[in-house]
Amino acid sequence: MVSLVLAGVGGQGIITVANIVGKAALIEGKNALMTELHGMAQRGGKIVVEVRIGDYKSAIIPARSADIMLAFEELEGARNLSKLKESGVIVLNRRMIHPVSLTLKIQDYPERIVAEALSKYKTINVEADQIAMNLGNKRVANTAMIGATFSTGLLNLREENLITAIKESLPEKHWDINMKAFEQGKILPAFETAKVA
Amino acid sequence: MAYDLLLGSEGKMEFLLGNEAVVRGLYEAGVSVAAAYPGTPSSEIGDVLYKLSDRIGIKFEFSTNEKVALEVASAASAGGLRSFVFMKHVGLNVAMDSFVSLSGAGVKGGMVVFSADDPSMHSSQNEQDNRFLGKFARTIVIEPSSPQELKDYIVHAFDISEEIGHPVLIRSVTRISHVRAPVRLGKIKEKNEWKYKKSASLVLLPENAYKAQMSIVNRLEKVRSSKYNGILNSVYGDSSTLIITSGAAYNYIDEAIQMLNVKARILKIGLSFPLDQEMILKEVEKAERVIFVEEGGPFLEEQILSLCAIRSINKKFYGKINGSIPTSYEMDVDRVAGFLSEIYGIQFQTKTQNLNLPERAPVLCPGCPHRATYYVAKLAMKQRGIKDAIVPTDIGCYSLGYYEPYQLGDYCFSMGSSIGSSSGFTIEAKERVVSFIGDSTFFHAGIPGLINAYHNNHNFVLVIMDNYVTAMTGGQPTPETTPPFKRVDIESVVRGIGIKNVYSMDPYDLKNSLDTFKKALDSNELAVIISKRECALEVDRKRVPSEAKVFQINQDKCNLCYNCVKNFTCAAFYVDEGRVYIDPELCDGCSVCSEPLVCPFNAIEVKP
Repeated sequence: MVSLVLAGVGGQGIITVANIVGKAALIEGKNALMTELHGMAQRGGKIVVEVRIGDYKSAIIPARSADIMLAFEELEGARNLSKLKESGVIVLNRRMIHPVSLTLKIQDYPERIVAEALSKYKTINVEADQIAMNLGNKRVANTAMIGATFSTGLLNLREENLITAIKESLPEKHWDINMKAFEQGKILPAFETAKVA
Repeated sequence: MAYDLLLGSEGKMEFLLGNEAVVRGLYEAGVSVAAAYPGTPSSEIGDVLYKLSDRIGIKFEFSTNEKVALEVASAASAGGLRSFVFMKHVGLNVAMDSFVSLSGAGVKGGMVVFSADDPSMHSSQNEQDNRFLGKFARTIVIEPSSPQELKDYIVHAFDISEEIGHPVLIRSVTRISHVRAPVRLGKIKEKNEWKYKKSASLVLLPENAYKAQMSIVNRLEKVRSSKYNGILNSVYGDSSTLIITSGAAYNYIDEAIQMLNVKARILKIGLSFPLDQEMILKEVEKAERVIFVEEGGPFLEEQILSLCAIRSINKKFYGKINGSIPTSYEMDVDRVAGFLSEIYGIQFQTKTQNLNLPERAPVLCPGCPHRATYYVAKLAMKQRGIKDAIVPTDIGCYSLGYYEPYQLGDYCFSMGSSIGSSSGFTIEAKERVVSFIGDSTFFHAGIPGLINAYHNNHNFVLVIMDNYVTAMTGGQPTPETTPPFKRVDIESVVRGIGIKNVYSMDPYDLKNSLDTFKKALDSNELAVIISKRECALEVDRKRVPSEAKVFQINQDKCNLCYNCVKNFTCAAFYVDEGRVYIDPELCDGCSVCSEPLVCPFNAIEVKP
């Protein structure tokens, strides 16, 4: 029984990641549920996806009971912390996407308050976008996040099943680069808290 | 190939989105014809059908609106074929006239109307519970709870519909249609042969309509005693507390009572109109207290309480009517545990925390042509000294013009309401009226309003924002899409009405667009601007990534006037320690921000 909450901004490929995790669970013969919320915006809006693996009927995770949070964007990670249990782990993509509401007022990204909120939890920092840029395709950042999440050992899914699920979800011409992103995402720094700016 | 997994053989398990499971259900049920107008949370059904229709033998079309779609499907059913129409909840309001008649006429081939309701209004203007509309029209109402049930109940719904000769309404919600879960695939049925026979019951003139009323009653009576009650309703658990539930609400109950460490007997209703009265009353009689847990209105609760009143059954009842259970917004385990704990009289606290974080409001995409249109509209009004324009807007991505900084949108009810309300405003308003509508919405419900405005001499400026797709629901085709469809030209439609003041513009050309807007604002009769530019996401989907340009701010030239962030406000801009930057991962490369009308200092340039 594992619950994951995935948070970020529209366009980051979050739904694809959740779908891959769910598929991998199904390949292992486990029940998996996934629910997604995206508002009116096609891109740039906030996105929350929840995945539960195990014998559940509700796809929505009760407050303070998710085991893992995949924060694809830092502010959106902080916004959804109420889903994460106290001993939960954050897999944090070091990516800040400025909300327009702040930019309009000529305000900076709220780095300090986000880092403070995140610092209460065990956090693994992942430079997923950097990995993707180095590989030459910004769209594979989400696959690096799958690699990092796998490395926590908390998913309780076998690597080959995740890889099968990734391949089933993507056209063959993108397999190579996504496998590289997965491998590089797997290489984790030790557990650390988010750095307070 | 995407979606191939929907074609798998019987017994296979696939991880499917509720809406994808719907399409598999149609395939299994032997459906021949389907039609729809896109609307979230039902949109993916259309996306999948559009791609798979040939391979699963379903003739599918995007119709101009839900009423037309329902009529397309009902005619196929009159010819003996199984037919399907699907929509978001408010779409049923548009289809209502023919929906109610359909119930009177009855069906030949099985016919299912699918409504995806949106409790909590994740992407809608209300959270109406369409089970009430199904009962109002006296159709059969069926409620699945999960993607597996969506698929299975669709097959049952077609069987019931065809056996009884009556339409079925299936009610889904966001948290079923947008849930992914393992779905076991079933057997594919043969499709019906086309067999149209003329029948007086299909012509609802008063004489025939009079008879139809009695046949509705007879058909519904047959449902009550049908075998399907046993298939679609279930009951389990041993307790003197009976929880009656249905739909998505059911999914939260087991976990909530486990959390509270209490017991209940659960009666899950899948066939929720007409009800299996005898079975339900038997359960109620056995119980000491009865709790109704439903998402939406007190649909089962009202029906069952009136039955209990007639039979003089008196129990402790808890639900929406006595205020024990909230009447609005979607349910979840925490909410259900919250109100059940009060009914059971035990302590329970949801563990929430409040962080004061800045909001991330929905925004127009980088490169969105609507942004350029709004920017120019504001500028033109400012230059013409119009400060207090009344701005009706409509349903689509451009509704986001409501937000800062554009704030163009102060009246928005339903599809097409921008144009009807503009006519109403001009009758007495001293303010200039400028209204906005998208291309797909214009075709859906805007044309009658525009004819009304022209005919009745109303003077306002209508801006039709034409991006060639139904963008907000994910880029479905519109009547402008070709091939293989015939293209309907918006300008010809507008001119065909007789309107003379018609202007076409490319919003990316800010200078020309500004002049166009000023001309329209100066007009003393109805003026229509058609702002034409393809949706930026569609352009992006077709583009080779290496061809995309990215812009940056030349910090030496930037004068820190902040016009670009305060008034143009592309989501790719951001501010750090007072300086403006462009996020290269978000920039669409549209180049509009580099125009002198946005940046007079020429500080925005292509990144080398």
